[in-house]
Amino acid sequence: MKNAQKYVVALSLPLAALVATPAYAAGVDAGTLIENTAQATYDAGGGTETVDSNTVIVKVDELLDVTLTSLDPGAINTAPGPEVLTFEITNTGNGPEAFTLTADPVVPGNDFDTTVDSIAIDTNGNGVYDPGVDQILTGPETTPVLDADENLTIFVLVTVPAGVADSDLSDVELTAEAVTGTGAPGTTFAGQGENGSDAVVGLTGADANAIGSLQVVITTVDLLKSATIVDPFGGTSSVPGSVITYTIAAEVTGSGSVDDLLITDPYPAGTTYIPGTLTLDGGALTDAAGDDAGDADATRISVDLGTVAGGTTRSVTFDVEID
Amino acid sequence: MRKFFKILAISALFSMPLASPVAAQDGQVKITNSVKIEQVSQSDSGEPQVKLVDPDVFIPGGRLIFVTDYQNDGAEPATNFVVTNPLHSAVRLADDADPDLTVSADGGTVWGKLSELTVSSEDGSTVAASHDDVTHIRWTLAEVAPGASGRIKYPVIIR
Repeated sequence: MKNAQKYVVALSLPLAALVATPAYAAGVDAGTLIENTAQATYDAGGGTETVDSNTVIVKVDELLDVTLTSLDPGAINTAPGPEVLTFEITNTGNGPEAFTLTADPVVPGNDFDTTVDSIAIDTNGNGVYDPGVDQILTGPETTPVLDADENLTIFVLVTVPAGVADSDLSDVELTAEAVTGTGAPGTTFAGQGENGSDAVVGLTGADANAIGSLQVVITTVDLLKSATIVDPFGGTSSVPGSVITYTIAAEVTGSGSVDDLLITDPYPAGTTYIPGTLTLDGGALTDAAGDDAGDADATRISVDLGTVAGGTTRSVTFDVEID
Repeated sequence: MRKFFKILAISALFSMPLASPVAAQDGQVKITNSVKIEQVSQSDSGEPQVKLVDPDVFIPGGRLIFVTDYQNDGAEPATNFVVTNPLHSAVRLADDADPDLTVSADGGTVWGKLSELTVSSEDGSTVAASHDDVTHIRWTLAEVAPGASGRIKYPVIIR
């Protein structure tokens, strides 16, 4: 009724207001009363007469429409444990409506299925799930009433099970259905629209769904250490003066990468580092700290490999002498 | 009884300021508005037939036909018969409306065919008026003879 009054007032506004075209993104608000009265003037019997027609009033029905989209930029990299999928629901109808949400973790083609823990709404509107702040919906999970054109960010909280393998994919399907009802476009729910209008299912069927995707990224690092010995006599005995060359191969496997991979190795008791023998992938590193990836002090070597992609092996070598 | 009420209504009109000093004679010409939709069916010979029927759904994007029926019940001809119909802001003139309709895009000040009208855009420049801009529609008939009746109509789209 409020809206109807608004329009009636608008008609009595001066010219400038009438010329402006109202912006209706989702169409005229449900419940709006469209009134139409014609006026005729004519000459008869020596005077001009004016006559008004009856006023025809029609009430705009409520169109039930909704869209749902995943806000994730693509498959979310994940590992066993909790994960958050982000969606946006928009009431594309022309009246206030709430929507029931259902998250289905079992989607054909999944390599594994997650467990859906809950559905939450972005209470503080920052686009990020904030535990304890963003409201977790209780079943049947239903959004607050959204005005026409209003949107809301939805979080689906899932748990990725243990035992998943690297690169495994899993989809979660979120469905939204208008509380008033869904069905083929044109399905009418008499009297159930805003302001006593009928509710009519729009082209979306008054329901929508969207897929959020997860991909398991498990990256592992294996360190393989080996040693070769050369004694002062050209043999391979461990005697004072023998030089031991240690090789540490860092093998990174998996579809992702590891960050801040730092390799440190203390010298074995009874040995002394031979200065200037530290190498990375065959290239010499200085013993000083801060000038390159590696440094060697009195007790250990240290090489900072930084970010290493899966499928890469980096090799560090250094020599010690048996005391 | 009916007549009595009509007289009352007319005397009320008289007492209103700005009322036309020339009294409207009692209902010589009547106009009746209705809202319809077009329903296309096939005739027996297979020709498409367009019927106007009462709509039961009013949704944004929906097409309605605004109809005005007129009838001269008097004994004298009504000349210079002009029917003016303001468009509610929630509807716009349909794109396939008769291009020869006389319309106004400024609340009823300037009249003409839509193709002849202009409106001010938001930046102040003058642009050609579109169906969206139409605020009023007007028909002029030179004469409605005694006993004559007719129907005028135009299509609108619910915004």
